[in-house]
Order: sequence, then C-alpha cells, then structure tokens
Amino acid sequence: MSDHRDEKLESLLRDRRVEAVSPDLATRISLKAQTVPQIQNISLWQSLRQLFAEFHLPKPGYVLASALVLGMVLGFNTSPDSSTIQDANYTTTQSMIAGDEGFL
Amino acid sequence: MATAWPDKDDNELLALIQDGSSQAFALLVERHTERFYRLAYRYVQSKEAAEDMVQDAFLKLWEDPHRWQADKNTKFTTWFYRVVVNLCLDWQKKKQPLALNEDMPIIDERESADEAMQRKQQQIALESVIAALPERQRTAINLCYDEGLSNQDAADVMAINLKALQSLVMRAKTTLKERLKSYL
Repeated sequence: MSDHRDEKLESLLRDRRVEAVSPDLATRISLKAQTVPQIQNISLWQSLRQLFAEFHLPKPGYVLASALVLGMVLGFNTSPDSSTIQDANYTTTQSMIAGDEGFL
Repeated sequence: MATAWPDKDDNELLALIQDGSSQAFALLVERHTERFYRLAYRYVQSKEAAEDMVQDAFLKLWEDPHRWQADKNTKFTTWFYRVVVNLCLDWQKKKQPLALNEDMPIIDERESADEAMQRKQQQIALESVIAALPERQRTAINLCYDEGLSNQDAADVMAINLKALQSLVMRAKTTLKERLKSYL
C-alpha cells in the first residue's frame, strides 16, 4: 500500500506540468540587455587616473593653482617670531615709561 | 584556430560577456533560458512571472558580469540556478499567497474529461502542498525533480552535501504523502 503511494507520489512529482516558455523569451532578454549599460570593473590605478582627469585644468589654471599652493605653504611655514618682536618693542617702551616714572 | 561561437563553453562565453560581448550574452541566454524558466515556473506557477524571473536574472548578469567568478570552481549553471532560486524565493515572500494557475492546459489529449479533471485537481493540490513546504524542502523537491539536474548538482546548488539533500527530500515526501492522502 505504502509502495503504491510512493510510486504515485513519484509519478506526480515527475509529471508536474510546466507551461511552455514563450519562443521569443531569449530574444526579448537579449534585446532588453542592449538597453542596459554594463558596470565596468576598474582597478585602483584606473580609478585614480579618472579622479585626476576630473580635476584636469588648463595651463594658466595650473600656474594660478601652483601660486596659491605655494602661497599657502609659505604662509603656514612663516615663523611666528613676528609677534615676539612686537612684544619686545612693547616691553622696551614700557620700561622706558617705567624709567620716566621712577624720576618723578 | 578560434572556436566557433556555438562551440564555446559557458566559461568562454562569460569571459566574453565580461568584455562586453552582446553576441556571447545572446548565445548564453539562448542556451539556458528554457531550463531556468522551468525551475522558476515550479516556484511561481505563472508563465509571465517565471519569464520575468529569468529575464531579471539574466539582466543582472549582463549588468554586472563580474558577479560570476570562474575561479571559484563552480559551474555557471549551478551558480545561476542559485541566482534564480533566490529571485523566486524573494518574489514569493513579497507575493504571498501563491496564485495557482487553474487554467493550465492539460497536455495529454487521450485522457477522458473525468480523468483530466481528476489529474488537474491532483496537480493543484500537489502545487499547494509543495508551496506550503519549508523553503529548503521546497527547493530540494524543485531541484531534484528538474530534468537534467542530478542529485549532486541539486546539492551543489543548495551548497549542502548529498546526504543533507536526500534528508530534505525524504522529509518533504513524507509531508506530501501525509497531506495528499486522498489523492494517492
């Protein structure tokens, strides 16, 4: 009895109906793919080159950009001693005034 | 001498697709559409939905062909069965409950009207019970009863060993026998 049921189930599973596929499905998929752009796999070097290409400047632009960068570098590297000089001048003036006061 | 297009194997076609060859893509689609449609149909029980599943799966491959990595030692068909199964399972989760196609044509014209009706009812009942099986048991049944797919292939698609697959099939059949008592 159980064997008979097993056989029947086997045959039911093997005979599962599937509607026939549309004969043009493969063509439809291929045509649709032509409208879909592919994602390109690019290396790190290529992506860096693309990044630099984004920032490509004409020659006068490079001159201006270099001047700005140079200015910034010089600005940041300037010694902060100028304020010390001012402080020194201030101190000298103060001591002179203090000296004058001493005589009074 | 270069291999003629129809003689190229799947891996050669996929390498060409990765270089943007639409001709290779068309050939790969032509070669495999029907088998993946059959599998998708078993999940979604609708011609339109099954065709959409297969189209989506192939278009995803075309869009990003580097998703397929030949060096992983997996056959293209094994990997792509997995892609289609996952798409179908996602679709089913969104589209519950499954709409069974009662207008499916009965192919065997030698059957009498009564026999045809009985057969149709059996099929509808079978599909409902399969649709209600746990996900892995359902996948095991759908893959194992797909023509042209060995049990080892089915186990590879599910990324399990053969014994685990056989156990899933066994449990699925026990449930089917129990729930289809009146038809067996």
